[in-house]
Amino acid sequence: MSDTKNNHTQDDSHHITGYAEHFGTYVSLIMLTFMTVFISVFGADLNTLTVATAMFIASVKVLIVAYYFMHLKYDPKVYRVMILLVMAMFVIFLIMLMFDYLTR
Amino acid sequence: MEHSFSLPNSGHNYDAKASKLGMWLFLYTEILLFGGLFMVYMVYRALNPDAFLIASFNLNVWMGTINTVVLLTSSMTVAMSITAIQKGNSKLSLILLAATVLAAVIFLVIKYFEWGAKIEHGFWPGMDHFINLPFGEQLYFYLYFFMTGLHGLHVVVGMIFILIVMKKIKNGSQNKDKNQLLENSGLYWHLVDLIWIYLFPLFYLIH
Repeated sequence: MSDTKNNHTQDDSHHITGYAEHFGTYVSLIMLTFMTVFISVFGADLNTLTVATAMFIASVKVLIVAYYFMHLKYDPKVYRVMILLVMAMFVIFLIMLMFDYLTR
Repeated sequence: MEHSFSLPNSGHNYDAKASKLGMWLFLYTEILLFGGLFMVYMVYRALNPDAFLIASFNLNVWMGTINTVVLLTSSMTVAMSITAIQKGNSKLSLILLAATVLAAVIFLVIKYFEWGAKIEHGFWPGMDHFINLPFGEQLYFYLYFFMTGLHGLHVVVGMIFILIVMKKIKNGSQNKDKNQLLENSGLYWHLVDLIWIYLFPLFYLIH
């Protein structure tokens, strides 16, 4: 992208993630999966909070996959900025949709 | 940095960075494709909260959990296969990719039995049982079949993608220095995983 930072990004893209780090990421994802199932199946008294908790845990999992498995953590900043833009776009669509349904 | 010129499609214009950026741009369109479906889901669920809850009891939470674990495992193996090839171990990379394909097959087989059970009980849109369901529950099953079906299609595509990469590793055109195709197929596979991470609680874990 920028010429001045070329050396830096070059180094980033050659980072090799170790097997142990991948396995650690995997273990944390499995633990979060069992946590969300447990909360949903056995913790029914949380009621309205369950949707929010399930979505929160899912988002944490997605961040872990994106950062470690998809290598975003070691990639040049431009990838993180772009995914933020896509997320912002999604939120804008969502807000517009909500306004539509809430004002009917 | 070298600045040599080569003709397009001459096979000498390998550009890992451009390839990766292109893959990410494609993944953004995929995020918005499923994003649109998630919005449809959100609106219909907000309008029919009780019907969605009742309909969700027809799904088997444990089958969904097993499939989540299967997909997460395959995500790890594909990530490790990239590590392996970058360290120059093509053989290990191939084994890990084979494990990924195996996980994809297991996922699809479980999905087949899940869908099979639903169709047997007449939940497929248009079947006798489906027609007699309340409207909200019908919406749930429309969305269930469409979203998990589209996701399943992505699993099949990702599997084919990985099989092609395996062939290229075997003949040496994907190697220690040139492995962006493997990385891109890995990114695609992780995206399939990401979508499932949201689909799973939205369809199976409504309580």
